[in-house]
Amino acid sequence: MRKLTKLLSLGALALSLSVGSSAAEECIAPADPGGGWDFTCRTVGKLLYDLKLVENPVQITNMPGGVGAVAWANVASKRNDDGSLLVATSTVGITQIAQGRFPAGTDAMRWLAMLGTDVGVIVVPADSEFKTLKDLTDAMSEDPASVTAAGSSGAGGWDHIRLLMVAKAAGLSGDDYKGIRWVQFDGGSPAVTQMLGGQVDLVTTDLGEIAGFVESGDIRILAALSDERIPAFPDAPTAAEQGLDVTGYNWRGFYTGGDVSDEDYQRWVSTLNKLYDSKEWKAAAEGSGLVPVWRGGEEFEAYVLEQAAQMEEISRQIGVIK
Amino acid sequence: MSDRIAGIVMLIVSIAFGITASSYEASFGDPLGPAALPVMLSIPAVLLSLCLVLKPDPDPVWVTGTPLFRQIAAVVLLIAYALLLDPLGFLLATFVTVTLLGRILLSGWLKSALSGVLMTLVLFVTFDTLLGLPLRALPAGLG
Amino acid sequence: METIALLGQGFAVALTPTNMALAIFGCFVGTIIGALPGIGPVNGVAILIPLAFSLGLEPVSALIMLSCIYYGCMYGGRISSIMLNIPGDEPAIMTTLDGYPMAQRGKAAEALAISALASFVGATFATVGLTLFAPLLAGAAIYFGPADYFALYVMAFATIGGITGVNPIKTLLAAMIGLMIASVGLDPATGTARFTFGSYHLYDGFNPIVAIVGLFAISEVLFYLETMHMSDGKMVPLGRAVPKLRDIAVGGWAHLRGSVIGFICGILPGAGASLGAFMSYVVEKRVSNKNGTFGHGDPKGIVAPEAGNNAASGGALIPMLTLGVPGSGTTAVMLALLISLNVQPGPLLFSREPEMVWGLIASLYIANVVLLIMNIPMVGLFTRMLAMPQWVLMPFVVMVSFLGIYSISNSSFDVLVMIGFGVLGFILRKLNISLVPVILGLLLGADMENNLRRALSISGGDPSILVASPIAIGLYLVTFAILAAAFYIAFNTRRAERKLGED
Repeated sequence: MRKLTKLLSLGALALSLSVGSSAAEECIAPADPGGGWDFTCRTVGKLLYDLKLVENPVQITNMPGGVGAVAWANVASKRNDDGSLLVATSTVGITQIAQGRFPAGTDAMRWLAMLGTDVGVIVVPADSEFKTLKDLTDAMSEDPASVTAAGSSGAGGWDHIRLLMVAKAAGLSGDDYKGIRWVQFDGGSPAVTQMLGGQVDLVTTDLGEIAGFVESGDIRILAALSDERIPAFPDAPTAAEQGLDVTGYNWRGFYTGGDVSDEDYQRWVSTLNKLYDSKEWKAAAEGSGLVPVWRGGEEFEAYVLEQAAQMEEISRQIGVIK
Repeated sequence: MSDRIAGIVMLIVSIAFGITASSYEASFGDPLGPAALPVMLSIPAVLLSLCLVLKPDPDPVWVTGTPLFRQIAAVVLLIAYALLLDPLGFLLATFVTVTLLGRILLSGWLKSALSGVLMTLVLFVTFDTLLGLPLRALPAGLG
Repeated sequence: METIALLGQGFAVALTPTNMALAIFGCFVGTIIGALPGIGPVNGVAILIPLAFSLGLEPVSALIMLSCIYYGCMYGGRISSIMLNIPGDEPAIMTTLDGYPMAQRGKAAEALAISALASFVGATFATVGLTLFAPLLAGAAIYFGPADYFALYVMAFATIGGITGVNPIKTLLAAMIGLMIASVGLDPATGTARFTFGSYHLYDGFNPIVAIVGLFAISEVLFYLETMHMSDGKMVPLGRAVPKLRDIAVGGWAHLRGSVIGFICGILPGAGASLGAFMSYVVEKRVSNKNGTFGHGDPKGIVAPEAGNNAASGGALIPMLTLGVPGSGTTAVMLALLISLNVQPGPLLFSREPEMVWGLIASLYIANVVLLIMNIPMVGLFTRMLAMPQWVLMPFVVMVSFLGIYSISNSSFDVLVMIGFGVLGFILRKLNISLVPVILGLLLGADMENNLRRALSISGGDPSILVASPIAIGLYLVTFAILAAAFYIAFNTRRAERKLGED
């Protein structure tokens, strides 16, 4: 209805046309409207203004291309010292950087904070022969090709790497990784549907998109790749409980240009921290299947660097990078 | 003749496409790999291009003279608009483009300029103010 | 019974004030777009897609607005056919044959009203068909695995070659062009960059919407620049504003014949509304032309093609929604819209997004009623639109396309790509190479490849998986049957066309 009023006021606005310019905060979503990064920017941007953490409405700019590389290159070349800028990213972006698909490594930008995360899970059909994570890793050790796995990323993408991290923890070697059949689908739901149709044995992906299938009882969570059990599904054991110390978060967070001053950097970290502490953010995050988790400032930078190094190692072992 | 030229162009493109694709390899991934389908595509594309070269339809009428000039002018104008939108700012770039497009479409200078002013304002209000597209209104350095 | 309950929920979605307003807005704009020669439904919908983004509409609202524009275009196309003897869009060509002669005899208002009623009957018939058949098809489609999808795409491409276009070689070549364009970008299965020439802009491939706006809207402007020195059609006077009911309801069974034929043509992938209108006219002429009045303003010669093209456009929504395979150029554009809204059409759509699907279907019923009202008493308004000078309209089309595309990514790169596709589209159209297969190739190419590779990943490289399921085998058989039927129809159509030319 609000959109409609906006449309109707077109005529009135035409008369009061003003050419304003402001140095308002801007959030770049390095993707088309409608995706996860776009959601991050739009939700955070709206809340920042609603909660009066910034003076002006946050400008949202979509800059799709290269799974984030276009926005990255743009910031690096044109706005590397722009203290008003946020760029949305997530673990998926880090995977791209770790595999050398961006123009520069993780140290080229300043990492601000993560505000929430999607939790990776390994799921199987309710009637699957795999009852525990150990059943699965035993089967994989015996004959890697006997298991067909699927997820929303391609071979070498984050969904695939998370599964291989589990395999690694269970003692499988780099050669075994290549034997596990991996099928890419355009999202978690199609992957789960195909699993229910008997096409694949298991799916590794973010819980958010497929939680409905778990609630309905069609599929079981074999292992949650998180530090603690997922609040919404307390019966589902973590991988660590089953003896394999692996976590696979897909966090949502922000970076800013590499030459941004310490002052601006700290201001952003504390602003985002205030946002994180608000109940509005918690509600928005949970509404879209995210678990609110905070890591900010230097702690976050260290976390990103470590995650990138870990991914680079696995990517090298499976031959995604040489 | 037009079909033969188009066929030859497509033939070259298809062959280049197939050759480029055959170099793609992933050391890890699915059994088919990234090269197989493009290479498979290039084969029928080459055959169909050859059919077009050997069995062309009668030529369409290609215009020459003023209409052709107008078409080229319109394409050049649009490319210039795309490149100048940011440096010149929305208002000036759009006004000039709409006015010149009006001229290309055979209206008088005055009418074109008038429609240029009106359309610039309507589009600016619609896209910038109502739809929230961040447009730089004035030339760089002024706004 | 369940269908009725679901449809009831759909009406609850469609009747919210925002969606109602968007539906009426869509019908109005669609009728204008359809009526104006030069902007057809494909470019109309394509130009307005960025608008749906910028408004930040919910996917269901965006889909409702664009579907109503689509239906509106189909109604509107007849207006300039009748008034100017220039079809407002391609499917309205057949309406000029009897519509314009009838208008010349001073019965323009009657011709418009008759055709509006025929459009209503055809579109409503198709909407009922959509309500009944789409859930059935969607229910079956849940059992589709990757190999079955691959068979489905093979069917889509094989059949467009047989059905559309004058020269099958050119149609197939057009599909190849689309498939080649689709392979640009990061390969989703392995992350290999293909045909990107080192540009990060090309990593995500070509955005279908950018390509579509370029191919259709920009090429249209180039076409206009070429033909504008030729004279425009003369507008006939409208005559009495609202004709009597008795003068409108003269179509009789022609309504139903046109609807059925159009609907079937619409469901076939790649055939679309033009074929629906053409087949309906040819059949109706064979049935009703006893006194040789066809071509001289016979009302049934208006009813049949109008019922046919409207039924076909509704029918084309069925394969688009249930299988993700569009049945016409415009539904291809709507498929592109859905994908960019992160809604994956296909069998899952009905079970996962019932609100969206049934909201859409319900709003199509509403749109039909709204359009009937708009197109009988208010038709004078639209005929006046035809007087808009091209030197205002064309720059407006260009600017809206331009800013719409710019608003998607804020980069001049996409706009330059759009201009490039505009020039390509112009050349292809000059060479009589249909653009619809290009779009289909562009939209479906990646999915076709991915499903083939998924199937082979599952089997570990064994190709026998492609013909292992009964669904896949069935689809290959249907493909074969459609191809056989298409050749039969093409043969008869060409004969009928020749006869039509001799008359």
